[in-house]
Amino acid sequence: MVESTRDPLALMGLMQLVSPALPIGAFAWSQGLESAIELGWVSDEQSLREWLAGVLQDGLTVCELPVLARLQQAWANEDREALQHWNDWLQANRETAELADEDLRLGQALARLLGDLKVLPASGWLPPRPAYVTLFAWMAHRRGVVVGDAQLGFAWAWLENQLAAACKTLPLGQTAAQRLIERLRPELATAVSAANVLTDAELGPVLPGLALASALHETQYSRLFRS
Amino acid sequence: MSAGDSGHRFDAGRRWEASLSLVFAARLSGAAEATRTRLIRARHHGPLRVQRPFYPEQRQIDLADPCHVYLLHPPGGLVSGDALKIGVNVEASAHAVLTTPAATKLYRADSYGVVWSQTNRLEVEDGGILEWLPQETIAFDGSRGEQRTEIALHGEARCLGWEIMALGRPASHLPFESGRIEQRFQLTRDGRPLWLERQPLDPVHPRFVGRWGQGEATVQATLWAAGLPDPGAAVTTVRAALPANPSWAVTQRHDVLLLRYLGGSRNEAWALCCAAWHALRPLLAGRAACEPRIWRT
Repeated sequence: MVESTRDPLALMGLMQLVSPALPIGAFAWSQGLESAIELGWVSDEQSLREWLAGVLQDGLTVCELPVLARLQQAWANEDREALQHWNDWLQANRETAELADEDLRLGQALARLLGDLKVLPASGWLPPRPAYVTLFAWMAHRRGVVVGDAQLGFAWAWLENQLAAACKTLPLGQTAAQRLIERLRPELATAVSAANVLTDAELGPVLPGLALASALHETQYSRLFRS
Repeated sequence: MSAGDSGHRFDAGRRWEASLSLVFAARLSGAAEATRTRLIRARHHGPLRVQRPFYPEQRQIDLADPCHVYLLHPPGGLVSGDALKIGVNVEASAHAVLTTPAATKLYRADSYGVVWSQTNRLEVEDGGILEWLPQETIAFDGSRGEQRTEIALHGEARCLGWEIMALGRPASHLPFESGRIEQRFQLTRDGRPLWLERQPLDPVHPRFVGRWGQGEATVQATLWAAGLPDPGAAVTTVRAALPANPSWAVTQRHDVLLLRYLGGSRNEAWALCCAAWHALRPLLAGRAACEPRIWRT
């Protein structure tokens, strides 16, 4: 059993960070899902579940979740070199214009909000062009959230956001979305455990189909989402 | 004398190495101010060679004549234990075009499952241009190994290249059903990573058929171009030049243009890469594409 966040203020800090009400505009991005639906690859509850489970395993598990842990550790250690390294690494792994844009714009929006709340890192500590994950890691560190919980929160926010995008694009009801949460909740926990045993050489997303869908989204005629 | 003493091991420690190291430099040539790209060093170890360089392109003022070189690997394919290392260094303002005379085959691993490896290290100095245009790689069922392409750019260096991978031999009804191949790409400029990608090809993994992954594609291609003056405009140019079709797409991020194909046809992948190269070359190198003659034979 992993250690969990006991401090009530830390726990609420995590809830605040992963809430869909956090004003950073996450709702505007679908991470290739809108395009996958347009292509007919995702068309119902079952195919959506397969898509999300696949992206969780070959995306978050080998990219955002383990790197979030490394970044949070880097903030704790005040390791400027590691912060820069993993921030660069994340951006270099973004497969398409929209996925790179999403990362930077969510990062900018979160940085602006944290600036307004006066909780940004001291001047000079934030890498230039900070990725969303880099700032998420900073807040988890600052609030005293345990790494494993920060990862679960990150994965949870991803799942909720993907389901919200699917409900707007597919014929998919709110109850079906909750059914998918019931099915995928254990997989989020598995993803965090799997992420935490990977070595640096094993990291890197493997989502060639999603990358293709995301690049096709750039020329999709009618679209609701920015990615 | 044991097999180990003779150097012929048959376990996971077996390694048959071959390497090739090429250096291209711009040198004054003949008439006033004209420069030509010379292959100033070619070192090889084991079965990797180059043919005599060609200069098939018309001279252009202020540009070094591109040097066309064919990389030869006489065995024609990689077997368990092979370790190929290709190093290319293009010095400042030089321009090299590299290709291969035929497809590279990746043979089925031996009964010990020993892997092969191929590492391409492409380094381009300020103002230099490297075009890396190998013919496709064909992976036989059961092949195991890793192909790495590391591109290190400096200053205003430019590089365009591709890797086309065909899995199995559909004409012989021999699909890629076992084995594991990993392709890795790493592109840096002045030491900073701009593009990192890995593509493990594992026919028993759910992503091999899953739509987020390979989606049952048996042929994949990745084309990159870095150092374009306006990558966004280049994306538009490529889209206009190639037939729209959901099996390929082009994008650009962090100044690297990427075209990806996931489909079932080597010829389609090859045609798309060539068409994209024709569209991009004037933007990247200020020259029209000049196809290596060997592609027509």
